[in-house]
Amino acid sequence: MLTIPCATLCWHIPALFAVFNAEQLGRIVESLERNLLTPIPLCFVLGLICTQIHGGIKIPKELYLAIAIFLLMSIGFIGGHELAHEYQEHGISTIWKPALATLVLGCLTPITSYVVLHYLGRLSIADSAGIAAHYGSTSAVTYAVANSFVEQTQHPANSFLPTLVTILECPGIAIALVLGAALSARERATKASASGAPVRESKLGEALYEVMTGQSIMLMAGLLVIGFISTLFMDTKGFQPFYDFFQSKGMLFRGALCIFLLEMGLVAGERLGDLRKVGPFLVAFGIVMPLIHGFAGVYLGHLAGLNLGGCTVLGAIVASASYIAAPPAVRLTLPEANPTLSITAALAITFPFNIAFGIPIYFEMAKWVGAT
Amino acid sequence: MQLYPLKLVTVVGETVIMDDIAKEGQQLGASGYTLSEVVGQGSRSARNVIVGASKTMKCEFVVPMDLAEKILKHVSYTYFEHYACIAWLSDVQVVRGEAYVAK
Repeated sequence: MLTIPCATLCWHIPALFAVFNAEQLGRIVESLERNLLTPIPLCFVLGLICTQIHGGIKIPKELYLAIAIFLLMSIGFIGGHELAHEYQEHGISTIWKPALATLVLGCLTPITSYVVLHYLGRLSIADSAGIAAHYGSTSAVTYAVANSFVEQTQHPANSFLPTLVTILECPGIAIALVLGAALSARERATKASASGAPVRESKLGEALYEVMTGQSIMLMAGLLVIGFISTLFMDTKGFQPFYDFFQSKGMLFRGALCIFLLEMGLVAGERLGDLRKVGPFLVAFGIVMPLIHGFAGVYLGHLAGLNLGGCTVLGAIVASASYIAAPPAVRLTLPEANPTLSITAALAITFPFNIAFGIPIYFEMAKWVGAT
Repeated sequence: MQLYPLKLVTVVGETVIMDDIAKEGQQLGASGYTLSEVVGQGSRSARNVIVGASKTMKCEFVVPMDLAEKILKHVSYTYFEHYACIAWLSDVQVVRGEAYVAK
């Protein structure tokens, strides 16, 4: 039953690449090499290999959590600092268009994901909405890796990209959960009235509150505000030590990102076995949907005035799927959705695809649409 | 020393629902609860959805029989269908047991 939609989706892969000529494809391959042979993705690969050969690498949970906190704080703080500079120089004239484009993308991606999953993939309402919530939101680590990539290629992204990450985090989850909860509730009510059983109370409000006040948003948005305020009101000398600690070009950030990616490799490696359970449609979805969303991000980013690095990073974050904020929210709101499907797609398919292949492809897409 | 015969309700399940179960147990009348991280595997396999968090947690309530039944009924009705979760009841002898009996 899944063969036809799967074949349809797979057919789109060469169609998407057909827009590139031989020279551009050569550049993509070159970018892939440049991206893959760097410590950050290689640490991820090491984690994957370790789980497959039952190796002994174990990252203590507390270290993982501490690094996640540092990365989120760093992204937020430096983002707030750069945003303050941008604000001082240009006001909000350069920011509002990319912010609006990001908001539109955040609202569109869960809907496109839901439509493809439910109507093309024939997945249930709950499963479709659950997976759409993951793909509507974003992955801060994918942002960090994409940002490192564009810095390495000497095309740093616009300074306010962390603001766009925080804008993108919430609406996608909210829209997909509201859609899923409403449609599932109707389905449940029909079943309950037929069987005479009471209707279970929805936890949508609680789940949305947890997303809005979850660690990712609180740390990133909170530090963004702190970075913004302190840049405007502190003298440069007093601000410098904080900047040195958090700055993303620093060795601390990249080293921490390597450890984080190693852990992500270990977690994704544990999920590789689940690829057999999710079926070919979802595997194809986890690769093709990011390319489509990534292109939409790159294109709208370009229209909104982002530079080459900015378009690439926006493409990457729009293409990415959340595996930290979305899973607990989906589990609470749509308990009938199978978490193996959504987490495997987000973590074992889309995340590795994006950090290994997606980011260089979005970079070439950004060049192709004319970003400079 | 006087010991009070009470019931220990133990719920083991996915991390994502354990805070709610603890809170709902208190709303039903339990005077307190104990939450702890545990390791194990069940028929639904490990369904942890929170990256970086422990896979399974255990929530325990010391309560009188009527309340124990209420909690078990609530947990089984609300969570058993879709979540990896198990609950059981055991007899316990509790020191200062009067603290656990609703006044």
